[in-house]
Amino acid sequence: MNEEIVNIVKEIKDIATTILEKDIATVRGFSERQVEAIAKQTLIIQKGILNGDIDEGLKEFFLDGLEAMVLNFVNTLKGILSVTIEKIWNAIVDSLWKAIDSVI
Amino acid sequence: MKTAIKKKWIPIIFFIGLISVTSCKTLLAPEYDKAIVESVTTNSQKTMSFLEKISDGTTKENYKEREKEYNELIGAYDALKLQAKARPIPNNVATKKINELLQAKNSSAISGDYPSAFAFQKISETLKRMKTEDKEKGIKPTAMQAFKGQIEIFLDQAITYESFLKR
Repeated sequence: MNEEIVNIVKEIKDIATTILEKDIATVRGFSERQVEAIAKQTLIIQKGILNGDIDEGLKEFFLDGLEAMVLNFVNTLKGILSVTIEKIWNAIVDSLWKAIDSVI
Repeated sequence: MKTAIKKKWIPIIFFIGLISVTSCKTLLAPEYDKAIVESVTTNSQKTMSFLEKISDGTTKENYKEREKEYNELIGAYDALKLQAKARPIPNNVATKKINELLQAKNSSAISGDYPSAFAFQKISETLKRMKTEDKEKGIKPTAMQAFKGQIEIFLDQAITYESFLKR
């Protein structure tokens, strides 16, 4: 393969890897916090139903809340994914544009 | 000879033109808004300190002492929801293409809405429900823990998303 092509491919890989490594660390931390908190919330609701602190009306409210928080957890991850894709896309286009710019 | 040179340059000119058009920065998510992040930081501190103050539960007899704080917090999160939703959602060719690729791989599309606005709405609804319970019956300790847990989870979602928008 032409040396210039090899350099461009390497630069694209480096750009993507750097962004991904940084963003994945954030995603991992967020996911771990959320999964743990949602599990804890489930146990609190269970305890509240058993000891009578959570009545029938509140039980429905908290169960709906659990469903909404799981749905929004996934949507937050998707939102973060959009930002990551955008960062990679723009960084790659930037790098390609610079490569073209250097020969014209 | 002249025709051959012309033919040679046509694809190059076309390629440069294409790159010029597509090299514009693509926006797949809303812009970062410092005011939202600052407001959510301030209000999350106020919320946490309010919840800590009543962490053992409440009785309806002294509800009036808390009414003002409930109203202020509900108002703050309703305002945050409006602020978050006021930004336009990017809807461009790139988003469309990425969603097509994801759907082809049986994955759901990347978000077309604001997870933070949804979280602010849910925090406001939780505080409204807390206020009603407090006023009518008082809140028992385990129910209070569940209210606190629900608010914390939605706050984490909103703060993480809004902070992540800072590219």
